[in-house]
Amino acid sequence: MKGLTLNCMDRKSEAYELVRLGLKNDLKSHVCWHVYGLLYRSDREYREAIKCYRNALRIDPDNIEILRDLSLLQFLRSMPQDETVEGVPKSYNVDGKGRFIVAQMRDLTGFVETRQQLLTLKPNHRMNWIGFAVAHHLISNGAKAVEILEAYEGTLEDDYPPDNERCEHGEMLLYKISLLEECGFLERALEELHKKEPKIVDKLTYKEQEVSLLVKLGRMEEGANLYKALLAMNPDNYRYHEGLQKCCVLHSENGKYSSDETDQLDALYKSLAKEYTWSSTVKRIPLDFLQGDKFRDAAVNYIKPLLTKGVPSLFSDLSPLYDHPGKASLLTTDFPSPFELKQADIIEQLVLQLEHSVRNDGRYPERTEKEPPSTLLWILFFLAQHYDRRGQYDVALSKIDEAIQHTPTVIDLYSVKSRILKHAGDFSAAASLADEARCMDLADRYINSECVKRMLQADQVALAEKTAVLFTKDGDQHNNLHDMQCMWYELASGESYFRQGDLGWALKKFLAVEKHYADITEDQFDFHSYCLRKMTLRAYVEMLKFQDRLHSHAYFHKAAASAIRCYLKLYDSPLNSPAEEEDNTSKTPSQKKKMKKLRKAERAKKLCFISGGEEKNEESSASGNSKFGKRHIKPVDPDPHGEKLLKTEDPLAETSKYLKLLQKHSPDSLETHLLSFEANMRKQKILLAFQAVKQLLRLDAENPDSHRCLIKFFHKVESMPAPVTDAEKLVRSVLEAERPSISQLQNKTLSEANKVFLGKYEDSLMHRVAVAEMLNILDPARKLEAVKLIEDSSNKVMPTNGALGPVMEWKLKDCIAVHKLLDKVLIDQDAALRWKVRCAEYFPYSTYFEGSRSSAVHNSLNNLDINTTVNGGASYPGISGSENSVASNGKLEAFKNLTI
Amino acid sequence: MAGGREVAISLDGVRDKNVMQLKKLNTAIFPVRYNEKYYADALASGEFTKLAYYSDICVGSIACRLEKKEGGAICVYIMTLGVLAPYRGLGIGTKLLNHVLELCLKQHIPEIYLHVQTNNEDAIKFYKKFGFEITETIKNYYTNIDPPDCFVLTKFVAPSQEKK
Repeated sequence: MKGLTLNCMDRKSEAYELVRLGLKNDLKSHVCWHVYGLLYRSDREYREAIKCYRNALRIDPDNIEILRDLSLLQFLRSMPQDETVEGVPKSYNVDGKGRFIVAQMRDLTGFVETRQQLLTLKPNHRMNWIGFAVAHHLISNGAKAVEILEAYEGTLEDDYPPDNERCEHGEMLLYKISLLEECGFLERALEELHKKEPKIVDKLTYKEQEVSLLVKLGRMEEGANLYKALLAMNPDNYRYHEGLQKCCVLHSENGKYSSDETDQLDALYKSLAKEYTWSSTVKRIPLDFLQGDKFRDAAVNYIKPLLTKGVPSLFSDLSPLYDHPGKASLLTTDFPSPFELKQADIIEQLVLQLEHSVRNDGRYPERTEKEPPSTLLWILFFLAQHYDRRGQYDVALSKIDEAIQHTPTVIDLYSVKSRILKHAGDFSAAASLADEARCMDLADRYINSECVKRMLQADQVALAEKTAVLFTKDGDQHNNLHDMQCMWYELASGESYFRQGDLGWALKKFLAVEKHYADITEDQFDFHSYCLRKMTLRAYVEMLKFQDRLHSHAYFHKAAASAIRCYLKLYDSPLNSPAEEEDNTSKTPSQKKKMKKLRKAERAKKLCFISGGEEKNEESSASGNSKFGKRHIKPVDPDPHGEKLLKTEDPLAETSKYLKLLQKHSPDSLETHLLSFEANMRKQKILLAFQAVKQLLRLDAENPDSHRCLIKFFHKVESMPAPVTDAEKLVRSVLEAERPSISQLQNKTLSEANKVFLGKYEDSLMHRVAVAEMLNILDPARKLEAVKLIEDSSNKVMPTNGALGPVMEWKLKDCIAVHKLLDKVLIDQDAALRWKVRCAEYFPYSTYFEGSRSSAVHNSLNNLDINTTVNGGASYPGISGSENSVASNGKLEAFKNLTI
Repeated sequence: MAGGREVAISLDGVRDKNVMQLKKLNTAIFPVRYNEKYYADALASGEFTKLAYYSDICVGSIACRLEKKEGGAICVYIMTLGVLAPYRGLGIGTKLLNHVLELCLKQHIPEIYLHVQTNNEDAIKFYKKFGFEITETIKNYYTNIDPPDCFVLTKFVAPSQEKK
């Protein structure tokens, strides 16, 4: 007992000692074993804890308490465990035996047994019945689970449930019905649902369950009617709309409809629109299926009132219409399909018409009513986003500037301008505009966060941190962001450190994100007993399923991928070679100097900021402890700068655990296999690398990166020395057997395959570049040819009916990649410079290429302390110079200029 | 749709969190920049400084300073009153000024005054409508705009009959 108390008081080691002492004195005490188990559990040492519980049960097999504790743990057994190695918590003990496959992940059979035992011991306890049923459900034995629940119902009195338990009982019934549905007993489920209707409290779920069963039973007409009834309750629920469309056999996953279907849908929505005049959903959905003139009319009618009203989100609402339908374009430079062009073009035309009419006449065409002055503002706002989306940044900027001039107080305008500049490639200007937006409403967390993100994108880490901290609890600096699991921040700041070559910090951030996912996995612990008690079983089972695919979440993917990239870079260029870092930046000498200075300043700032932050941290955690005795001591981070992480002996080995998680949870992402390829090539794991190549070809054989990996791989294989050991021979024979099965290489040399690939995608920049890079690898003597291949690419105008200005085909991101390739891989400085000059032309706002309109040219990279005053002109501090001279004139404050 | 043109105009106070809005307005409306004292005075005047919102867009403002006259009486000095160009003629300025006038009435502040450039006829007309009178002319009040002279417009608030 004393041991347990001590444990709560954070005196871990003493606690363990005492309990061990207790065990020494009485090995047969189940209490001691139980406590020992509890101790381990609180340290997340679940395997040990289970052992202890089992020991305790051997002594006292019917102890309910222990059984219950054990059953909880069996859920978590062999789940991600924090194994403490030298005080550094390591997460995710993946041991190659595929433990992460759902069925094996949880000790479910053990769980079933334990729950059965609990039930036999205490059959009058509801929780035990339910727990047993859930256990069976989880081992995919839904039928058995239903039986148990029915047996349980059999034990109940007729007048059950009492008033205060009606919700719980209703939940149980709904759970049972969803089980029946899952097992495919649809008729029975429906029957049961109708029979138990009076006992089900949640009427909405009742209806939703009913309609789902009806649809599955193919009773479409009834389904449609029920969906209409649901729409009457909430006409803005997209799921009901989708259901209704499905019932009328009018739903299409890929957004393509025959003209007949379109007409039917049109009729359906016209009738719905009459019924639900206030629902914007009913008006919005037709835009997804209408085409041509009908689309135009519907769009005009949809857009006009929203522009009048001033709905800042209008563009995001319509932006899905700009998306490529389906997966047509995995290639970055693919042409948008004609369908997409049509919708977006129509929108452009009609909004331009509105703009013209409102600007000249103050009203919409063919209307007598005057529009309020804000309509023009919202039209400009919309157009700016439209042209931004189209890549016509100069038009977008002129529109947004006009809007800012019209009404300089609307914060969204600055946010959008910031976004346009970001897309156009001027990150520091984007950051300072986001900061301007932030200053306009200091109480808005969203704007603050957006600003932080822009600052991180502009690699102003210290400033970003300061800004982010404005919204954390006072004093509790940086740690607070971590405690709140603020992952976007950690990701963005990690990326920024990565760009700046600070791998230690970057790794630290990425691993922090990964840690959050471990914590989220832990968190389910809280629900095991709570949900059984509260009977929120459907939500509970859903939660468990969610946990099982937790690691496929985008943020985890990003963090893991970036961490792997860090380790790869670490492997390629081992520590403490700042000279190398300098080499990486291929700037003109003067630029280099500037960069150096800037970096120094940044670093100095960062350091002093960080050290300040840490002191506070320690202080606050110390004081926090005395105040809340129960709180766990936050162990002082032994590695605040990520230096230890950098000193890892074998960075490649570190990659494997993240790779495994990615492969398991994001098997359909190209990136997963690209990274796997890179890592395994470095590890000389030929077969694993080959596996990655095959996955890439499976996912997208036409992707330039897939092509790269394919060629690189076989080039490496060809250049390997003749196999000596048996293992090597085996590998070689596998590859020889496999090679003919790859269609790209059939009867071809690599050079020929490379040429064929070029022939296929002669017009695409990124494909040409991939071919050029491979050309150089296959035969370094042909480097010049490779460079020429890249330089001969031409940037074409995209075929578009856009009314204003042409859109070029090349993407900024790609061109930067090409520049880096020319510079570092092909090592042709002259070509790189020529490329840069050429791209500065295409991307005048890009700071990377030092385009003529970027802030790199305007204010010599010194963006950290601009004084901004001119509305929306933040990026060019030159304009704001007049400020001081005017403001210093004291008398002027009394200036009176009335405007009514 | 019928009532769509009736746009709501509302007033909101100025706080340190949104004072930037006032700065943005002043930058757009007036040819001068105001110094920090202006903003401190505005914030200190409390209810006497307001932003006007036109369907949630901040489009105008009135900024006052409370002054103590000899003898202890308080008077209100209107530092700025302005509305963004596209939103003029919608009664927003009137609403802002009325707000301050009512407040003076309620708090028994007897005197409100302001400076206006001598050639700003629209403004003078506007204030006269509300019972302001020219009480003084100051030569060379402004330093770098022309004409440099200004009028002082003053309204003496009659103690109201219906006391509240």
